[in-house]
Amino acid sequence: MASQKLGLVFFPAFDWAISPAHPEREERLLYTRDQIVEEGLLDMPCIREYKPQIAQYKDLERVHIGVPDLSSLITDAHLVSAGGAIAAADAVMRREVDRAFALVRPPGHHAMRVVHGTRGFCTINIEAIMVEYLRKNYGIGKVAIVDTDVHHGDGTQDVFYHDPNTLFISFHQDGRTLYPGTGFTNEMGSPNAIGTTLNIPLPPGTTDAGLHEVLDHLILPVLNDFKPDIIINSAGQDNHYSDPLANMAITAQGYARLADKLKADIAVLEGGYSIENALPYVNVGIILAMARMDYSKVIEPDIATCPVQSSAVTRSISAIIKERQNMWATKEKLQQEAIAKAGDFWQRGRNIYYDDAGIDERQKEVVRLCPHCSGYVTIETEAYGMFGYKSAYIATIPNQACPTCQKAAYDAVYKAKKQGKQQLYFVQNKMEDRLEIL
Amino acid sequence: MFLGLDVGGTFTDGVAVSAGKIISTVKTPTTHNNLLECILRAIDKVVLDTGNKNFERIALSTTIVTNALVEDKIDKVGLCIMPGPGMNIKDALPKEPYIVSGYIDHRGHEVARPTEEEVMSACRHFSSCDIFAISGKFAVRNPSYESMIADWIRKKVKPSHISLGARVSGSLNFLRRTNSAYYNGAVWRHFNQFATAVEDALLSRGIFGPVYVLKADGGTLPLAVAREFPVEAIFTGPAASVLGIMSLHPTRSPAVSLDIGGTTTDIALWQKGTPIFAEQGAKVAGYATSVRGFRLKSIGIGGDSFVRWEKNALKVGPMRYGPAMAVGGSKPTITDAMIASGLIEFGDKELALNAMKELALEGQTPYEVANMALDEAVTCIYQAVMSLLAEQEAEPVYRVEDIVQGRRINIEQILGVGGGATGLIPLVAKKMGLSYQLPDHGMVANAIGAAVARPTLDLTLRADTVKGFYTVAELGIKNRLPKSRFSLEDASLLAEQHLAELAKVTGIFLGETELIQAEEFNVIRGFNTVGKIITCRLQVKPGVLLPSKEVF
Ligand SMILES: [Zn+2]
Ligand SMILES: [Zn+2]
Repeated sequence: MASQKLGLVFFPAFDWAISPAHPEREERLLYTRDQIVEEGLLDMPCIREYKPQIAQYKDLERVHIGVPDLSSLITDAHLVSAGGAIAAADAVMRREVDRAFALVRPPGHHAMRVVHGTRGFCTINIEAIMVEYLRKNYGIGKVAIVDTDVHHGDGTQDVFYHDPNTLFISFHQDGRTLYPGTGFTNEMGSPNAIGTTLNIPLPPGTTDAGLHEVLDHLILPVLNDFKPDIIINSAGQDNHYSDPLANMAITAQGYARLADKLKADIAVLEGGYSIENALPYVNVGIILAMARMDYSKVIEPDIATCPVQSSAVTRSISAIIKERQNMWATKEKLQQEAIAKAGDFWQRGRNIYYDDAGIDERQKEVVRLCPHCSGYVTIETEAYGMFGYKSAYIATIPNQACPTCQKAAYDAVYKAKKQGKQQLYFVQNKMEDRLEIL
Repeated sequence: MFLGLDVGGTFTDGVAVSAGKIISTVKTPTTHNNLLECILRAIDKVVLDTGNKNFERIALSTTIVTNALVEDKIDKVGLCIMPGPGMNIKDALPKEPYIVSGYIDHRGHEVARPTEEEVMSACRHFSSCDIFAISGKFAVRNPSYESMIADWIRKKVKPSHISLGARVSGSLNFLRRTNSAYYNGAVWRHFNQFATAVEDALLSRGIFGPVYVLKADGGTLPLAVAREFPVEAIFTGPAASVLGIMSLHPTRSPAVSLDIGGTTTDIALWQKGTPIFAEQGAKVAGYATSVRGFRLKSIGIGGDSFVRWEKNALKVGPMRYGPAMAVGGSKPTITDAMIASGLIEFGDKELALNAMKELALEGQTPYEVANMALDEAVTCIYQAVMSLLAEQEAEPVYRVEDIVQGRRINIEQILGVGGGATGLIPLVAKKMGLSYQLPDHGMVANAIGAAVARPTLDLTLRADTVKGFYTVAELGIKNRLPKSRFSLEDASLLAEQHLAELAKVTGIFLGETELIQAEEFNVIRGFNTVGKIITCRLQVKPGVLLPSKEVF
């Protein structure tokens, strides 16, 4: 019997960095470690610390297809941070704790289904891996992911874009003003999953007040309506007023109250680069809120430097809330229209930029709009990466795919292989839980 | 000649060690209402036995601090804390604190200064207190506020004693340091009265030798130092026995030691010849403190453990109702089972067999039921060893390399001491498929441990090259860095100097030191490295010493 218990997987990866002066470097969680240990949080009877596991490639391949392969693109640190998210999930699902926080690095929410390298400091998507692990091992169906990082969670959006059973909500600083430059309101999911991608771009300068308007009037009602089996929080902390990479004005109190109201079953750390002035306080705030403890005394020493919200920002937040409420209320209609417009297949072509690796990927994605299941997906991808020019043709068979889609996915890959335009051919078969190389 | 004394729950053991040899051992019942009595009786017996009144060292492992807490012989303490921002610590402490407003941040920066006025009002609030404890968050990064408040209190009320959190422990964990400082103050007077009584009694008997007190981490403190840090003298019994094992049977291979006494079995893990330390400090009266100790597990299985049927299952311990029936007890015990099955010879075998007959079901021989009881005891011990190993393995680590390599300990042998070891250890070893050792004098391993425990000390030096200063909390210092390009190597040399200084002040021989923690992180502004944060924790290597030669 768990009693208001929080499981904490704390893994600061003190021996891992993208490069020495990169924001994602060894000491990112050093001051957070100091604060957590100094507070004595790990001694609290309602907090239980867990060690990360080491994720298996099988866990990764439920989400990702590495080109040429995952093992040459990732480090042990990635397996440990994904394993940290998995350990948090296990602790909750085994009912050892009521909820869990994977305070781990490296982060993952910019990593998409196809991986050619590292983008936005992310190589594999640790939340997505955890979600598919939950589905495979615990039969979880409907999942809601709320991404509270300042950057649009474009990787998580990509992985679940065609999945009507995963509600992905991301609020972030408007993509016109910040990396990765996506996350606009018209990105709503492919026709079979319209509405289950819900982007909330916010103006720079949004404060706790604005954020909690969004939470109270949009995010919480939508969650209530969707009725997920589990709520995941991609708990990025770079909305903080002192973050060097963004321009928002959220405080530790704002984040703690967010965690308190959201009541996520599992939170996973994402970004947050104000490593001295924000992270120690924001993390302590989130931990206390998730453990149902008093967080009212978690105040940054430099709180006086936090800006106030302008009336223009307040107005534009009200407008976005209204527009998004409308979209959610009319999503069935939008879906019918989108399906009617697309016909049997929906497709898109994209360029995906990997800022850390300097890679430009070209991708064409086709989804079968199947009346019986969420439809198989095929992806053609090519990029000049760290191993030279690489290309692949991939088909993904979703969970609960109908027999027609299952067969059609294989047929599509065999056909592509016969044409021989790509170097590698994969079937990501979620029903049989394996990644096949054809 | 070294004299070691261990005041245990039932018996007080004493040994005299000379030139690496045990030349006298005594055992006398512990007199709980007056510990001095059994201590002096044991000393008198050793003196009588050896004809010697001059000792190189007299080391005590006592329950005096534990008793003070259990019997509530503790003082009121005026507890002042500077919690700064963070968790609301108030309800997690054993006593309502007075909250002072100033605080230090995680870099050791003085963010908000406490005022003399509020400290004066704290003194008024604690007007009935003669002892104070002061603890500030991140005081280990900058002890100046703690010292400043102590000065103000001293000036105003002249208390008998003030415990400072950062002096009690140099490690991070404000909650634990606060609890430690509080309990240190609470038992201060009682311990000091005891220390004075011991010194007076020795003097009046004409017995000479510096007195040391054992700590939970197996080190010893000169009595003069222990008077300032009495909380360190808690839970020393198991540590004494672990050190005894270390001197009786030095081993380099990974091992588990079992001290099987009358009521309990104490389990410790060994690697590279030393016992493994617990990552967290001990709990005092249910509160987490910073008192460091070995990673130990104690279970309620011992020679006197009560054996009985419960819902068709034969159960052993944790209760005990006096000695074995073989020596006149009234209820069947594990010792009776060991005698009945022929594992040991002790007391009256006929009575032991009767004990087993009492337990035997229809068609069961006394021998069979004895083996069943032993099986149950061995299974309990085995499971406890396994869970201790699992706990050790589950200990969080913060580096990728440590996770990937794991921290599994592959136990190679079992070391057994204590009264129940001869009978039970071979059975435990068989169940685990390992070899075992039963060192001589294992019955008084605890007192031997006290006799030969090496004095230890540790300190943490933290340097911030951006801010240009370093702190050693245990010494209460915050100094400018001696040079601009300051490395981890420089830090450990500087730590060595300060440890030598501390050793000198406390009257401890420095001996061999070891770095138990070393961290070095860059501080980057924009894309430039502007400095480093270096932490190193250095300790005098714990271990055992013998008069003529060092075992290690
Ligand atoms: Zn981010
Ligand atoms: Zn289908």
